[in-house]
Amino acid sequence: MRILVVEDEQILQDQLVEKLKHAGYVVDAAGDGEEGLYYGREYDYDAAVIDLGLPKLDGIDLITTLRNEKRSFPVLVLTARGHWQDKVHGLEAGADDYLTKPFQMEELLARLNALMRRAAGHASPVLREGELQLDTAKKEVRVEDALVELTAYEYKVLEYLMMNASRVVSKTELTEHLYDQDFDRDSNVIEVFVGRLRKKLEPINPIRTVRGQGYRFNVETTA
Amino acid sequence: MKTGIQSRLLLTTSLVLSSFLFLAGFVLDRSFQESIRESARDQLELVIYSLMGAALEFDEQLGFSTDLADNRLYQPESGWYAMVERHGKEDRWRSLSARTTGVEFLDYQGILNPGQFDFHEENEGSVDRFFLTYVVIWEDEDETLLTFQVAADQEPFVRTIRGFRRNLYIGLGAVTVFFVMAQYVAVRWGLRPLRAMAEEVRELEDGKRERLSESYPIELDGLAQNLDRFIAHEQRSRSRYRKAMEDLAHSLKTPLAVIRNALQDDKREESNLLSEQLDRMENTVTRQLTRASAVGPVIVGRRVDVGNVIDRLVRALQTAYSDRNIEVEQQLEPGMTVRGDERDLMEMLGNLLENAFKYTRTRILIRSASSASTSIYLEDDGPGIDPELREEVLNRGTRADEVQQGQGIGLAVVAELVELYHGQLTISESRWGGAEIRLDLP
Repeated sequence: MRILVVEDEQILQDQLVEKLKHAGYVVDAAGDGEEGLYYGREYDYDAAVIDLGLPKLDGIDLITTLRNEKRSFPVLVLTARGHWQDKVHGLEAGADDYLTKPFQMEELLARLNALMRRAAGHASPVLREGELQLDTAKKEVRVEDALVELTAYEYKVLEYLMMNASRVVSKTELTEHLYDQDFDRDSNVIEVFVGRLRKKLEPINPIRTVRGQGYRFNVETTA
Repeated sequence: MKTGIQSRLLLTTSLVLSSFLFLAGFVLDRSFQESIRESARDQLELVIYSLMGAALEFDEQLGFSTDLADNRLYQPESGWYAMVERHGKEDRWRSLSARTTGVEFLDYQGILNPGQFDFHEENEGSVDRFFLTYVVIWEDEDETLLTFQVAADQEPFVRTIRGFRRNLYIGLGAVTVFFVMAQYVAVRWGLRPLRAMAEEVRELEDGKRERLSESYPIELDGLAQNLDRFIAHEQRSRSRYRKAMEDLAHSLKTPLAVIRNALQDDKREESNLLSEQLDRMENTVTRQLTRASAVGPVIVGRRVDVGNVIDRLVRALQTAYSDRNIEVEQQLEPGMTVRGDERDLMEMLGNLLENAFKYTRTRILIRSASSASTSIYLEDDGPGIDPELREEVLNRGTRADEVQQGQGIGLAVVAELVELYHGQLTISESRWGGAEIRLDLP
């Protein structure tokens, strides 16, 4: 899951990036609205955290511009002033949720998690597909009620595929959303992860390979 | 309310005008009467002179040459009568008209000196008459005194006076009406700029215009310009103040967020204490800044459309709480407005609605009732607020040292804003057993 953080206060930005990375997200950080817009245009994110009081390009304008350009990833706005007018403006511009500074980091993580689930069409934090259960809050996976031990990367691959269950996800997309830019983008690595993941999920096999295009999550194909 | 300027002007001029015209009428009436009497006397005098010219004496009897100048004296009921009398003798001449009418002449023997006129009014029966009497020394052998007395009915003169009076009153009445009307028009026209200004000030209050128009007469121009400047200044300083408060909020809260995040990773004993103090600081900053940047009931400004504010808030909150599937029903009277600042209203309703979204289970009802004040009810089917806690929830954080860790101060902030607006915030139980919050704004 790739997340964009746009926050002008350097220390707070650092803290956000650190916490998000620690929670297993891939994070890009921008210090002003223009940089944020550049990132938002350049990459396809799963969610964004945007401060409303930004230099160069205001947070509201940034969100409006991104939405006008059909960037539909969920946006969580941060507001220091805490005025309802700011929150309403942010949500009217296209944000999906708000958080007033100062905030608890756990709260931010929970809200982000919920936003991404909602974007994927899941109301509950536990995604269920047939015999497969994925708890996005605890980061746990169960098959036929038995806990499956997954590494952080294997979990991320499965979560991303489940969140995008209705479509084919290319290896490049997986790489982009799961790894930092400096990561070696060798598609063989992905294949290795998917292979191990399939083995661990047995007896079900929800990950289907679409030749030449990538992977698709589909419980119907369970063996 | 005091008497209007227009009424004052009209009342004064009407009073002055009517007393002036009344006096003028009185004086004119009196002088005309005087002049009519004068002319009656002159006419009677002429008759006496003509009688004296025509008087003859034969056989010690008075007589007149047949053709008296004034033949009204020969006509019965002509209204003109004459009498000549020789003093000391039973010798009396009366004109034909006097004899047929039966006029009682006055007795002046010995009262009047020769060469003197006496003009007199007398009522005889139902008839008023003028009498003019003159005594002369008749130049015969005895040098006797002769009294000439002429009388005339007042009737024709009174008729003239009456006619004059009627014309006078009609004329004066017309003048009064004309003047009062002219005065009314003048006052209306003269005060029109003031009325226009009052109307524009009302529009300013309702936010229908930003400033007064520029076409005021010189007497009001200064006032209008000063008012404009005052309003502009007030708005500028309000927004400057608000900007300052926002900058302050921003520069305080971001560091607080940084400290809080840093503390979270700190497992030392003191970090709990610090965290507690941080909560207090946060609550104080939030509450004080909200209070400080609130505008309160504004005198000059747009009336805020309550329905619109609620619509926007509900839409925003439904986005933020879209995973909860909360059913929101609105029963608001259309066109409900509150005099105040839109942000203040949004702050109050935002906090209240957010609480409703947070604590309700399935639904929220927003309804209104407007009587003397605007009442907005928010009902939910959540757990509700314990009756013992209701008072406390509203006053929470009123004093900074009362604030405890983790307590929300949303309702307390709202309560403070409501107080600023001289409104009222009441908590009770909703129809579904949840909380019902009633917000009254004047």
